[in-house]
Amino acid sequence: MIVDLDQTPLRYSATYDELSADGVTPRPHWAHLMESLREIGPEELGRRWNRAERRIRENGITYNIYSDPLGANRPWKIDILPLLIAADEWRFIEQGIIQRAQLLNLILEDLYGAQELIANGNFPAALLYANPAFLRPLVGVKVPAQSYLHMLAVDLARSPDGRWWVLADRTQAPSGSGYALENRTIVADVLPDLFRTSNVLRLAPFFRAQRQALIDLSESNNPRIVLLTPGPHNETYFEQSYLARYLGFTLVEGADLTVRDRSVYLKTVDGLEKVDVILRRVDDSFCDPLELRGESLLGVPGLVDAIIAGNVKVANALGSGLIETAAMMPFLPGLSKHLLGEELKLPSVATWWCGQKPALDWVLSHLDSVVVKPAFPTRGMEPVFGAEIPQAEKSKFADQLRTHPHEYVAQEQIALSSAPVWENGHLLSRSVVLRAYVLNTGTGWVAIPGGLTRVAETEGSVVSMQRGGHSKDAWVLWDGPIDTFSMLRPRSEPVELRRVARAVPSSVADNVFWLGRYVERAESIARVLRAMIPRVRRVDDAELGCLIRLHSCLESRYSKLPKAKNRRATSEELEQELMSLLTNIKRPDSLASTLVEVSRVGGNVRERLSGDMNFLISQLRDSIQVEHGTPFLEYPPTLTACLELLSAFSGMERENINRGSGWLFMSIGRRLERAIYLTRQLREVATPLIEQDWSFLEYLLEVADSSMSYRTRYFTTLQPVAVLDLLMADEMNPRSLDFQLKHLADLYGKLPRHQPEDLVRMQDAATSLRSFDLRQLQYPMKGGSVVAGGSDGLARLERFLRETEQLLPSWSNSLSSRYFSHARSLPITIGQ
Amino acid sequence: MNPMIYKITHRSTYKYKNPVSVGNHVACLIPRSSVHQQLNLVELNIHPHPATRTERVDYFGNCLCFFTVREPHKELIVEARSEVSVSADSMPVPRSELAWEEVARTLPRDLSQAGLEAYQFVFESNRIRIRPEFASYAQQSFTPGRPMRDALLDLTARIYHDFRFDSKVTNVRTPPEEAFRKRRGVCQDFAQVQIACLRSLNLAARYVSGYLRTYPPPGKPRLVGADASHAWVSVYSPTDGWLDVDPTNNVVPSDGHVTLAWGRDYGDVSPLRGLVLGGGAHTLKVGVDMEPVNPHGHEVLPAPPLHS
Repeated sequence: MIVDLDQTPLRYSATYDELSADGVTPRPHWAHLMESLREIGPEELGRRWNRAERRIRENGITYNIYSDPLGANRPWKIDILPLLIAADEWRFIEQGIIQRAQLLNLILEDLYGAQELIANGNFPAALLYANPAFLRPLVGVKVPAQSYLHMLAVDLARSPDGRWWVLADRTQAPSGSGYALENRTIVADVLPDLFRTSNVLRLAPFFRAQRQALIDLSESNNPRIVLLTPGPHNETYFEQSYLARYLGFTLVEGADLTVRDRSVYLKTVDGLEKVDVILRRVDDSFCDPLELRGESLLGVPGLVDAIIAGNVKVANALGSGLIETAAMMPFLPGLSKHLLGEELKLPSVATWWCGQKPALDWVLSHLDSVVVKPAFPTRGMEPVFGAEIPQAEKSKFADQLRTHPHEYVAQEQIALSSAPVWENGHLLSRSVVLRAYVLNTGTGWVAIPGGLTRVAETEGSVVSMQRGGHSKDAWVLWDGPIDTFSMLRPRSEPVELRRVARAVPSSVADNVFWLGRYVERAESIARVLRAMIPRVRRVDDAELGCLIRLHSCLESRYSKLPKAKNRRATSEELEQELMSLLTNIKRPDSLASTLVEVSRVGGNVRERLSGDMNFLISQLRDSIQVEHGTPFLEYPPTLTACLELLSAFSGMERENINRGSGWLFMSIGRRLERAIYLTRQLREVATPLIEQDWSFLEYLLEVADSSMSYRTRYFTTLQPVAVLDLLMADEMNPRSLDFQLKHLADLYGKLPRHQPEDLVRMQDAATSLRSFDLRQLQYPMKGGSVVAGGSDGLARLERFLRETEQLLPSWSNSLSSRYFSHARSLPITIGQ
Repeated sequence: MNPMIYKITHRSTYKYKNPVSVGNHVACLIPRSSVHQQLNLVELNIHPHPATRTERVDYFGNCLCFFTVREPHKELIVEARSEVSVSADSMPVPRSELAWEEVARTLPRDLSQAGLEAYQFVFESNRIRIRPEFASYAQQSFTPGRPMRDALLDLTARIYHDFRFDSKVTNVRTPPEEAFRKRRGVCQDFAQVQIACLRSLNLAARYVSGYLRTYPPPGKPRLVGADASHAWVSVYSPTDGWLDVDPTNNVVPSDGHVTLAWGRDYGDVSPLRGLVLGGGAHTLKVGVDMEPVNPHGHEVLPAPPLHS
């Protein structure tokens, strides 16, 4: 067994400055950048920086930080100055990380296969057996060799003498390549001239290779590849959805997949579709609650069995987290010689795994110069800096190490190099770590030229995105020709034309359906509020009654208005209620909450929507935020602004979305929601209204945006039957009930696998609406005699509206259980 | 001596409040074969009839059955029926008086297949953590230089005497720490506590699930279905191989114990586990029946009531 105790300890007082050797003159490969910055000037640079920030917000680029008071969806922080890497230096790094990936892949192949490294004593058995990331069900399972490490991420740091060292390996579901891509897009946009003239190696060829590698992994001509995400609450969800869209894969959560007959299927609105390859961002042990961690809700029960049967390929292979531990590092130089016959090119930061006696002894006698970490991160322990342990506690800590030595690793701390960042108009120097990526194509290895540079928040602090650091782009300044391939730019060979839309997973249909419903609900509430707010202070008693009636059509369960029959709300109470309905985030039925829901369900399908649509959704969320204490009457303009955004959204919905199943669900959601509100309002008219309440009709026309149409036809005469005709029966009015029911039936009929009986139910409702002849309707008029049985038609109409009001939610439930329910229910664990 | 032959029926019944639309399950209910145990017959009956069913030998050599029930059901019955022969005379007889420290010292260096196979049972597992309290409890038996087998039997006897058999205080999820603190539990707790003790001393110990022959009170007929599944401990010594001890009954298992499966802890060998869609609240009823086909295979000794 090879223990490399003679690792060079790294202790230097100064750090390496990427920009300049003497602190004055830039290094040669930085000269061009510094020159350009001077030309651009600090003011313009500041403007560009703001533009980049805005773009980040608009694109909704986020990084969720656990336990952050700001919660999910924190904007991604980026520095506009790239880290520059000279060509020769990159060649060295590239060779080093590729060799490392090769080596780690071979180690995994052995440990999950023949385990000769163990039997021959090249690798300590204890490090394998004690490691919770060693997934025993995967031992001896045949998987394609290139899938063990489909992708490896390596965190690199540069020591004061200028050498690069590996700080950590990410071997199971490396994150960050998507952020690197997004950073590149933004920085190249902010510094276009500099980017163009710097001969920077492009990133797109790497992603092209990744897509091809995954296709090759499938051994199928037309494979279905999915990206398995832990879901929107994961820290890097944005990146996952971004990559899925960029690579053209379907983004799925565990609940979207199911195992049948030892194969994995995607639950879509068209039925089950076989999945060939899973690119996963879910950690190893969470992937299959049946055979791995029983309590996991992120995985797919039976996935391990499907892998064993050879029916699905997973990248990185399940179990690859085994070698993520830093405890591996001391063995790599020996294993490199043994497995590759080569010296390890890129050293790891000096590391001792305490599971071996000599290493433990060394650590105990050099405690002050190392940081001690858990060998198996799942055990949960913060790193301990030996020098910071109080003298009195040192022997206790040493005992802790001696009792379970294999649980600990000790590492030398490395003084990170620093690079320039642009902050508040100044060039500052910050510590950086470069995360580089290597891809296994099956026939060779490819590295992302550059990678994701992570920057410490303040000088000398720990570099970690979880702790709220920045990131920057990394440019490899090449000295030869570069491949300018773009994933979206035409290539010379013609593409095969495709009209088939991407499959729509049930969960996506679910979210899109609710997106349609919430957007329409927001519009209904906003319209009602906008009609009421300017009036509430100046109405007379009868009009106040009509306003309350209009409010009651929202059927708010959270309304604070008095419910007693004998006391009607005062205008002050109504005003309070409207304020609360507008802004109270704690009320699920408020406009503010509804917009939060729009943003939530929209976020769940972000990779399915256009950039413009995502942008609109993010604007909507903030659209009604007003300062505390804003006068009541200043709200209508805010509501108008919000309604403008909602109209923009519905415009895009009509004009910018392919008419696939996704669109059908969104439109059904919208029509359904509009029909529900409309039915309630029309029932008020059919009840019937006594004449002093007829101003209700005026409000109704305004809310339905139909005042103009009405005036064109009837001038200023306000009559219930005419309003009913326009808002209920007029098939040409997109806000009439007839229009909603007719379209619901049509849209539903286009859905795959629709249920004939549900289609008939909706068609019947539309037909019976048309059976009413409003001209025959005898609506009670002022002074007019009520003919006995004369309002029979009105009673029938009221009954029809009541039935429709019941039909709509039950029809919606039936649709949900047909298309979405299986995606929503989570399995429960039994017997364990 | 003739082998004992048993007919074993192990029946688990899940009843759900609401219908289950899909159930994915793993059963670890097929007895292993070994030098002293032979599996003559086995069948696994599942109701409702599973849509898919595959059998696979797991990492530890246990036979697992994976099945999926896809028709809506409110009741799931899994019944394992087997016939097993167990012989007493092929049980390993200790040959050496190797001190326990010597066993612990040689394990990490033993790269033979058997040695490596044993070594992995030295480490913590999901359900069994190594704790100082286990080590100090165990050290009262594992005194310096004491022969391995001696110390092991002493620890087994101490757990048997110090702990009370009580099926009310623990459940399948109770960690050994808690059972240890309460000094109470069932066979699973007894076994896991002893394993934790042994591993705390860097010894290799595994969890064995199986069945135990029970005896009716004198003069009473054998009650069908009154038996239960059982669990005990197996410990490795380079000279003796694996040695079984049953801390719940303070015996060295012989032909009254039938081995079903083994692993690092209960989690590796739980007889039946699964994930269901729907279902809501559920109840589980387990009935085990172990009938000696040749009750006079060897002389039946009047025995104390045994616990499992």
